[in-house]
Amino acid sequence: MRDLLQEIWSTLRQNKLRTALTGFAVAWGVFMLIALLGAGNGLLNALMSNNGNFLTNSMAIYSGSMSKPYNGLKEGTNIYFDSKDVKTTAGPLFSQVIDQVSPMLMHSITMDYNGQQVSTTLCGVAPVHSDIEKIPMNKGRFIDKIDMDECRKVIIIDSKTASQLLDDDPDYAKIVGRNINVDKYAFKVVGIYEADESMYQNDAYAPYPTVHTIYSKNNYMYRMFFTFHGLETEKANKEFQKKYTRAINLNHNASPDDENTVYFWNRFTQNMQMNKAVSIVRTALWIIGLFTLLSGIVGVSNIMLITVKERTHEFGIRKAIGAKPGSILRLIIVESIVITAFFGYIGMLGGLIANQIMDATLGNNPIDLGIAQVNMFLNPTVGIGVAVKATVTLIIAGTIAGIFPARKAAKVRPIEALRAE
Amino acid sequence: MLIELKDVNKTYNNGQPLHVLKGVNLSIERGEFVSIMGASGSGKSTLLNILGILDNYDSGEYFLNGKLIKGLSERAAAEYRNHTIGFIFQSFNLIQFKTAIENIELPLFYRGTNRHTRHNLAMEYLERLGLTDWAGHFPNEMSGGQKQRVAIARALITHPQIILADEPTGALDSKTSLEVMELLKKMNKEENITIIVVTHESGVANETDKIIHIKDGVIGSIEENLRHDASPFGGADGIMK
Repeated sequence: MRDLLQEIWSTLRQNKLRTALTGFAVAWGVFMLIALLGAGNGLLNALMSNNGNFLTNSMAIYSGSMSKPYNGLKEGTNIYFDSKDVKTTAGPLFSQVIDQVSPMLMHSITMDYNGQQVSTTLCGVAPVHSDIEKIPMNKGRFIDKIDMDECRKVIIIDSKTASQLLDDDPDYAKIVGRNINVDKYAFKVVGIYEADESMYQNDAYAPYPTVHTIYSKNNYMYRMFFTFHGLETEKANKEFQKKYTRAINLNHNASPDDENTVYFWNRFTQNMQMNKAVSIVRTALWIIGLFTLLSGIVGVSNIMLITVKERTHEFGIRKAIGAKPGSILRLIIVESIVITAFFGYIGMLGGLIANQIMDATLGNNPIDLGIAQVNMFLNPTVGIGVAVKATVTLIIAGTIAGIFPARKAAKVRPIEALRAE
Repeated sequence: MLIELKDVNKTYNNGQPLHVLKGVNLSIERGEFVSIMGASGSGKSTLLNILGILDNYDSGEYFLNGKLIKGLSERAAAEYRNHTIGFIFQSFNLIQFKTAIENIELPLFYRGTNRHTRHNLAMEYLERLGLTDWAGHFPNEMSGGQKQRVAIARALITHPQIILADEPTGALDSKTSLEVMELLKKMNKEENITIIVVTHESGVANETDKIIHIKDGVIGSIEENLRHDASPFGGADGIMK
C-alpha cells in the first residue's frame, strides 16, 4: 500500500496542473454545496426564530369594527371585547376546541419605587399567557390561579424595568417580594422576566381580574389569547374562525356573517404555512446542491477520462515490464480516490469556514426595524454530518467515475497502448 | 529449446486486412545472440511483439520454455513478461516523470519486491552501467545513450531469460550504438541471456551471432555469423550508419 501511495504521489507531483484541475473541480463542488446549504439554513433558521416567539397552537384575536350596518348599528361601529365574550370563548360552545383563555386588558401606568419612576403598560392576563407568548421568566414566578381567584395585586416586570426601579442596580432580583406603587395602589412584585433587547417593550403583567377591577372603567379590551387543539387543517381552522366570529357578533349585535369584527392571528396556520415554505426552500436548496455536486462529479470524470487517455502510452510501458491489468486499475482508482478525498476535504473545510464567516458577519447582524430587530441570517451552518456525507458522496462518485476509463485502460493490449502517443 | 514458433500467422484487420506473418517457423536456443533483419513492413517488429507476448497471433503455435503461449489472459501474460522477458525499445519507453532509478525499479515493483531490495538492486545495476551519478535524473535530462542504458538496466534487473530489443540503436549515433551493442554482447556472454535484436541495419546485425532474415512475412535465410563478417555493407569493423 505504501508503495502504491508513493507511486501515486510521484505521479501527482509530476503532473501538477492535471492534479490541480481535478482537485479544483472536486473542492469547488463540495465547497459550493456546503456554503449554499449553510446560507440556506441561515435564512431558514432566521425565519423560524423570528416566528418562534409564540406557542404554535394558539391564537391571538383582535376586535375590529362592523363592516355593515345591522340592527340599528352603523357601519364602522367599533367592537370591543367584554366579559361576556370571555365567557363565550371559555364556555361550552367551543370547549371542544379551545383549551385555555387569556383575555388581555391593558392600561398605561406609572410605577414608583422609593422615588424611581417608570412608565409602562400594565396588561391584565391569565396564567396561560406566559406559555402563549413564551415569556422568559428569570426570577420568581408568573401569575397563578390563586392570584386570579383572590384578585391579588401582584405584578411581573421585566429585568430592565426592575433595574431602573432600583436606581440602576444590576442586582435587580432583590425587588422580587417587595411592594411597588402602581399609580395609587401597592402591588407586590412576584416575578421578573428577561427583557428582550430586540423588542422595545417593557409591559408589566398582573392578574386579569385585578386589572379589570381597578381599571375596567373607560377601558376597552381589544385583545384576547387562547390555546386550542384539534384543528389540523387550514380548512378546519377557517371554519372554526367563522363560527367563532359569529358567536362574538351575536354578543355585540353585529351581523352574524360580518367577518370584520374579529381579526385572528392564528399561530397554528401561520406555522403550517411557514413549514410548507421552509420545506419548499429546503428542497430547492437540496436540488441545487445536488446539481452542484453533480457538476463536480462530471468535472472529475471528465478529467479522469482525459488523464487515462493521456497516460495510455505510460500504461503500455508498465504492462510491457509486467504490470497486470488489476494493478493498472488499482493505480487509477486509488489515485482518483486520493485526489477526490484530499480536495474534497479541503472543499469541505473551505465550506465550513465560509459558513463560519457568514455566521460571524451576517449571522450576528439583526436588522433594526424600529419597533423590533429581525434576524435575516441565523446560524448559517450545516451539520458536520451533512458536510461529511456530501464529501463522501463526491468521493464515491468520483471513484465510480474513474472506474470506467480505468477499466478501459486496463483492458487495452500492451502493444496498442505502446503505439499510442 | 527456449523459443519455438510453428507456422505462426498474424493478420491485422485495420480496414484493409494485412497479412503480416505468413507461417513463421523459428527456433532459438537458450543463450543465443540473434538478430532479426528485414525491410520495413517485413513483419520483424510484429514477430518480436509476439515473442514478447505484447501481441497475440492468429494461428500456429508459440512455445516459450516448452509452454504453449496462446490465448493467455492479460494477467498471465504480464506474469511471463515480468519474469522471463526484458524489453529494450527504439524510443527507450522510459516513464518521463520517474527518475532513472525509479524507472529501473519499476519491474521489481510489479513483482512485489520490497522497497529496500528494489532500491539496492537498482543501484547495483546503475553502477554496472556507469550511471550512478544519474540515479536521480529524469529521462529528459539524459542523453539518448544514457536513456538506453537505463532501459537496459530496467530490462536486466529482473534477470530475464530473454531480452527483446526492437531497433535498440535506432535513435542513437554510431558511437553510442556500438556501446549499446557491446553491452548487449556482454550480457549475452556473462549472464547467458538470450538476446533477440530486431534491426534493419546490417552493421547492428553483424554484431550478433546469428542473423535471421525475414521477408514478406516469412523467414528467409538464417546465417551463422560467429566471425561477425556477414555485413555486405559495413565490413567487419563495426556499425554502419
